[in-house]
Amino acid sequence: MATPGGQGGGALSTRGGARRMKWALELTLGNARGRGDRQSNQGDVMYPIGYSDKPVPDTSIQESDKNLVEKRCWDVALGPLKQIPMNLFIMYMSGNTISIFPIMMVCMMAWRPIQALMSMSATFKLLENSNQQWLQGLVYSVGNLLGSALAIYKCQSMGLLPTHSSDWLAFIEPPVRMEIMGGGMVL
Amino acid sequence: MYPPSLVVTFTKKSSVKMAKLTSLFVILLSFFCISEAVFEDQVGKFDWRQQYVGKTLFAHFESNTQSSKKMFVATDKNIFASFNSRTGDLLWRHVDKTGPEGTIDILLLHGQDALMVVGDGRLLRSWDTNIGGLNWEVVLDTGSFQAACFVAIQDTVKLVAVLKKAAISLHYLSNGHQKWVENLPDSDAVQYQAVYSGGEEEVYVLGVVPNSHLTIIAYSLEDGEIIKQRSVEASWLSSVESSCVVVGQGVLMCVDPATLALYTLPIQAEETPEFSQILLQVLYLSPTVSPGFQPVLVSSQPHPARSPLSEFFLQLGPDHHVLLQLNADGYTIAPLRDFQPAFLVSFATTGKKTVAAVMTPKNETVSRHRVVSFINYTAVSKPRWLSPLPFPLQACAINLFSVDSGRRLLDTTVLFPLEPNGGKPHMLYVHAFLKKDDSVGYRVLVQTQDHALTFIQQPGRVVWTREEALADVVTMEMVDLPLTGTQAELEGEFGKKAGKEHGLFPMVLKRLSSQVTLLQAWLAHLWKLFYEARKPRSQVKNEVTIETLSRDEFNLQKMMVMVTASGKLFGIDSKSGSILWKHYLENVQPNAAFKLIVQRTTAHFPHPPQCTLLIKDKDTGLATLHVFNPIFGRKSHIALPALPRPILQSLLLPVIDQDYAKVLLLVDDQYKVTAFPSTKNVLQQLQEMASSIFFYLIRSEHGNLSGFRLRKDLSTERIWEVVLPTEVQKIVAVKGKRPNEHVHSQGRVMGDRSVLYKYLNPNLLAVVTESTDAHPERAFVGVFLVDGVTGRIIHEAVQRKARGPVHFVHSENWVVYEYWNTKSRRNEFSVLELFEGTELYNSTVFSSLDRPHLPQVLQQTYIFPSPITTMEATLTEKGITSRHLLVGLPSGAILSLPKMFLDPRRPEVVTEHSREENLIPYAPEMPIRTEWFINYNQTVARVKGIYTAPSGLESTCLVVAYGLDIYQTRVYPSKQFDVLKDDYDYVLISSVLFALFFATMISKRLAQVKLLNRAWR
Repeated sequence: MATPGGQGGGALSTRGGARRMKWALELTLGNARGRGDRQSNQGDVMYPIGYSDKPVPDTSIQESDKNLVEKRCWDVALGPLKQIPMNLFIMYMSGNTISIFPIMMVCMMAWRPIQALMSMSATFKLLENSNQQWLQGLVYSVGNLLGSALAIYKCQSMGLLPTHSSDWLAFIEPPVRMEIMGGGMVL
Repeated sequence: MYPPSLVVTFTKKSSVKMAKLTSLFVILLSFFCISEAVFEDQVGKFDWRQQYVGKTLFAHFESNTQSSKKMFVATDKNIFASFNSRTGDLLWRHVDKTGPEGTIDILLLHGQDALMVVGDGRLLRSWDTNIGGLNWEVVLDTGSFQAACFVAIQDTVKLVAVLKKAAISLHYLSNGHQKWVENLPDSDAVQYQAVYSGGEEEVYVLGVVPNSHLTIIAYSLEDGEIIKQRSVEASWLSSVESSCVVVGQGVLMCVDPATLALYTLPIQAEETPEFSQILLQVLYLSPTVSPGFQPVLVSSQPHPARSPLSEFFLQLGPDHHVLLQLNADGYTIAPLRDFQPAFLVSFATTGKKTVAAVMTPKNETVSRHRVVSFINYTAVSKPRWLSPLPFPLQACAINLFSVDSGRRLLDTTVLFPLEPNGGKPHMLYVHAFLKKDDSVGYRVLVQTQDHALTFIQQPGRVVWTREEALADVVTMEMVDLPLTGTQAELEGEFGKKAGKEHGLFPMVLKRLSSQVTLLQAWLAHLWKLFYEARKPRSQVKNEVTIETLSRDEFNLQKMMVMVTASGKLFGIDSKSGSILWKHYLENVQPNAAFKLIVQRTTAHFPHPPQCTLLIKDKDTGLATLHVFNPIFGRKSHIALPALPRPILQSLLLPVIDQDYAKVLLLVDDQYKVTAFPSTKNVLQQLQEMASSIFFYLIRSEHGNLSGFRLRKDLSTERIWEVVLPTEVQKIVAVKGKRPNEHVHSQGRVMGDRSVLYKYLNPNLLAVVTESTDAHPERAFVGVFLVDGVTGRIIHEAVQRKARGPVHFVHSENWVVYEYWNTKSRRNEFSVLELFEGTELYNSTVFSSLDRPHLPQVLQQTYIFPSPITTMEATLTEKGITSRHLLVGLPSGAILSLPKMFLDPRRPEVVTEHSREENLIPYAPEMPIRTEWFINYNQTVARVKGIYTAPSGLESTCLVVAYGLDIYQTRVYPSKQFDVLKDDYDYVLISSVLFALFFATMISKRLAQVKLLNRAWR
């Protein structure tokens, strides 16, 4: 964005020759070069310092900006939900075999929502300016929860969750013997 | 430890990979799970084999030169073998059939040929003694074997005569062809017992009609014609074999124990139809033949082409021998020398000289006590010299005597050291040779009652000893070795008794001091390593002695306690196979039943480990206990319970007394129970838990299984009884579960990840019966699974058209048995597996009295391409490692068969779930892969039993196969998952690590320098 002062008659210009100075403000007219020269050539109109003949954009907060913020916040909030179809597709593609890539994928799938949920406060800061902050927060967390649920489902379908009795088989203690028995063929 | 979940994940991974290649499935799986074979450089590293031959019946030395190295023995195990007499190693060995079919009746040696009659006169064999090859073999006519001898024609030995009950035959030595065979006249009445040839043109057969007359028949060598036949009246004679020998120029010498007289009769002479009698008193011999002792004559025929020596020994008592000489007239006898005491005598011939070797006790005290020993000798004693002498005998001396004069030869004394716990000398085999200075030298082989062979050289050096009792191991146990002193001290620090009476400060001090001792031990170990490293490798010997025995890091080295049929106990180091101790139990009957029980292990320091051997005399039924320390073999001096009544069975309880010894219950024939040890503490414990102690007894002859419960007063009540009618089937064997078996997993994971719980009944018995009807169509084999507490028959499987012998293993929740299928004529394996279902009835306690549901039983059968001789399952510390079956084959191989091949859940149609479970599709044929042979080329002859013991490593199971040979090795059923490989490259790994470490250090430094330079720029 061009600075308004840049177009002024006594405008500011960079002097290529000067090494130490990055910029300089020249208050005298006439020996101004560049665009100022041309303007002075076209018409000797004197503008006050800082005047620009072009309209300055309106930087005040307007109704449309508000909408933009809202939209942006919704974007943030809906992000996790939007990833779900993608995740579903990857899940479908990777299959239920246990090998390094599906495992990595499942880890990523599980880790990202958890990470997002852990940094919930940072996200809330982003959503601070929104009116629907709470709703968006809710949607965001629901999305993440759905994502992690999906990861868990994937784990389940890959058989990584200890949900079956067989997963706890190793922890069953052998039963205590109540009777002592022995004997054999008569020697 | 290996996480089991990891196993599951890996197997799953593999199974899916194999999903589409069903045909490759089995092959891949077998690659994946088993590669058993050893590598070439591992041969002999963890395993050893010892070969035995058994109790020597006949022994011969190769030739009468000093340099000869060979000796030949024929044994009661039907083995003909040759030893290197310098080392005692086997040169070659021929193992014949077991049983009467392979019995070696006689072994004769002539030059390079060894003649052998086998199987009660079934076969005549000639062996080349150099290489042990068979020259020829001929089948003899039927009839039981009586005697055999070489027959010479014109001074060369060309024939062998074999006397049978009703016929005599002559065979050529060169090719075994029969020269002639003649039926013996009147063979129903006359017992022909001896054949004699003295180099003449005739061969004489001696027969006897007991207590009536003696018959002598002379056959012509040429055509077998009877030249002469006569009978001599001899009413005192009952057996030619036991009381007559031929001495001198064909004079038959007989001894009559009743009248104490010697009888002589010239065999060839026609004119003397009568025996001439010489009373022993006339010879001024002590007439007091020990009561019940049958006098024995010993003569010698040095060369078959010549007549026997005219000198002979007369044994008058167990330690009384007389050397006698038959005078040239053939009637009179001159005593040359009286040997008293003398245990054993033997003739030996070298060149022209014949000497007599006489073994006498070394101690001076012997002669004083001799009378006592005579009194002990009673009529019921064994024919062998078994009466224990009432004094400890340290050594025996063997001397040579000139046969002609009875004079003792100078410098021929050889000392034979007697072991304090060994057997007494039983036989003497002398190898005499002429030295360079023409004097007679000799070596002697002494066979003792415990079947040990000892070879002794002059002057009394024991060259080697072979413990041939180990050829017949009856039962064995493996006992952990004790901890070293430092280990034991640490153990004591954390033991139960420590810390109770001590305060904090003494405990700290004790801890410090034990750490110091550990440090000391470590330093000493380092010093020893350093010291030995400087020595050349050949000098470093890792000799195992009883003193240096201690448990190794992984408890891989154990003490093998072996009980042999002869009553000799051995303690063998399982790592090296060296015999560390031996103990001979003298008064053990040959057919006694043994049961070896480990009452206290080495875990209870400072109490010594304790083993108890229950020996039951089959005839009287009475049992004796021998309690000993399994590490040192010493007999423990513990008060033994009096066992006046026959003992039926024993039962080892998990109950321990205050000295940590497990309690042994002995059940007598009135079903009364004797506890050993029976201290007050034990009796009190027994009373408390009497209602939960059960035992079962099986009387095979009545087809009766019965169960008993212990009462508080140590009597019993019968609570159940099962009778299997003996006219239909008979109980062959019964097996419970091994008490030291651990089952890690309580169930099996199904393809859908549910659990099929195993039916793990610790009281379950597998009873195997065989039908009495042996007809192939009607024969059957039955397997009954009986609960030993309640007597409930859990399952019965009857295999029709099947015949024994049945070999079976009962473990965890399965029974594997092998039988002969008479219809298809093949060996079959069958496996029974018991499952409780998908729900556990009671997961915390198991009581046979509260089990309402019967288990689900699955069964599958497979064809096995070989007969088997024995079978056992591997055993590991925690039971995590998969199980293998160790199968002993008649070929001498030991097969390690994965249990997963014997799984009744193997599917016929492969499904997703079965693949998920790693089940191999069902195939009726069971493969035998050569890489499954755990003993590669070290065949174990006649495997009789396999013993498995867990080691300290979960992956490793120690295996001992015994039979004729003993083979020890380790098996890794799931491979060595808990140890680094043998060829693990420590150098490479550590050098890579060090290199990486230094590389990091250097690059770090370089990076710092670079950063600094950049900052200055």
